[in-house]
Amino acid sequence: MSVITASTTASSVEQAINEIREQCSGISPRLVLFFASSRYDPASVSRAMHDAFSGAQVLGCSTAGEIISGRVMKDSIVAMAFDERTIEGATCSVVTDVTSPDSLADAVRGLEEEIGTPLRELDFQRYVGVILIDGLSGSEERVMDRLGDMTDVTFIGGSAGDDLNFRSTYVYLNGAAYTNAAVLALLKPAGEFDIIKTQSFRTLEAVLVPTKVNEERREVMEINNMPATLAYARALGVSVEEAPKRFMHNPVGLVTGDDFFVRSPRQIEGDSILFYCMVKEGMELALLESTDIIEDTRRAVNEKVRQLGGASALINFHCILRALELEGNGQGGEYGALFTDIPTIGFSTYGEEYIGHINQTSTMLIFK
Amino acid sequence: MTGKIKRMIETIIEKRSNGNEILKNTTRTKLIIKGYNPERWTLQSEDDPAKITELKQIARDMGVEL
Repeated sequence: MSVITASTTASSVEQAINEIREQCSGISPRLVLFFASSRYDPASVSRAMHDAFSGAQVLGCSTAGEIISGRVMKDSIVAMAFDERTIEGATCSVVTDVTSPDSLADAVRGLEEEIGTPLRELDFQRYVGVILIDGLSGSEERVMDRLGDMTDVTFIGGSAGDDLNFRSTYVYLNGAAYTNAAVLALLKPAGEFDIIKTQSFRTLEAVLVPTKVNEERREVMEINNMPATLAYARALGVSVEEAPKRFMHNPVGLVTGDDFFVRSPRQIEGDSILFYCMVKEGMELALLESTDIIEDTRRAVNEKVRQLGGASALINFHCILRALELEGNGQGGEYGALFTDIPTIGFSTYGEEYIGHINQTSTMLIFK
Repeated sequence: MTGKIKRMIETIIEKRSNGNEILKNTTRTKLIIKGYNPERWTLQSEDDPAKITELKQIARDMGVEL
């Protein structure tokens, strides 16, 4: 077995990590990835995981819910251990301050020194990056944008959560816990790998163009030269008062050819709409309408597994808004069951990363 | 004058992707996220100096010489 998944709901860190270690006893891992509920003390859980797998690179983050093959979990720790048959090489570094471009540059330099090659020259078809980033920093767009400038390697990942407490989120690397930070992992898979990006929306006809924004605050003040709230409400044919109730069902999407990158409205503030993701002035945004998460995910995963000719492991960065919608519809179990036949771990994120920062999406890394 | 922005965008895509179709698509997406949708600019688009300055910086950041 070249990949092993493990999970626990034990309440003490010591017992929880013992259980994870026991479940992974059949493997000598090169890389261990774990996602832990925020109920576990960050420093303790990171140190204990590192001590349990001292020969491996061990990285993870805090969550707002966890996923393991066939099940969605809460208040748990899930882990995936990879040996060299799946991951030939793993190099990691920490962006200790996600608001600082210098900190990102230092982290990238660290990766480059370890692998001995500039990130810019790496073959994007042989390497893939994983990023776990503070979910409350509001910095994901800038980090992803800069990373995308520096390399052709795809970085995929998620924004750490804290079980909807919105106080602090953590990323973990090799025994330490960091906040306002990101962990970068540069992986060299032994075989084929691919990315799944799935969101459950269809585009409506209305096009919304932000005409006045505050990018730092992820705030849109005007759309189509009208107060943002009014323009959004009109596009849906509802009152401004009714509009926030439609946010989850009708976010907007930045259209990129045949695909789109979802930007989810968060709340109204005066005439402005605050988003979970930066929106730029002049961007054409399509109004979206939600579709069936279960069916769309099933189709996306099955299609990719078919293309690859099988799957040995899958890492799912699953938006908390999707998780909440599924939970509200009583479909959480059905969603988990989609991953019964594939060794899977994942977590409910405060944002998803793939080329840029996204909302209401699942980004997945899948290995043949 | 018109068309400079379109030509700059296409140059960034060509040079950054080095002819690779997958990288062309990725670079287009990166530019769209940065606010420069290649499909929205044509050879008839006005040469907006502010946009040109911003695109020059984007090219530098992406390691592309225009």
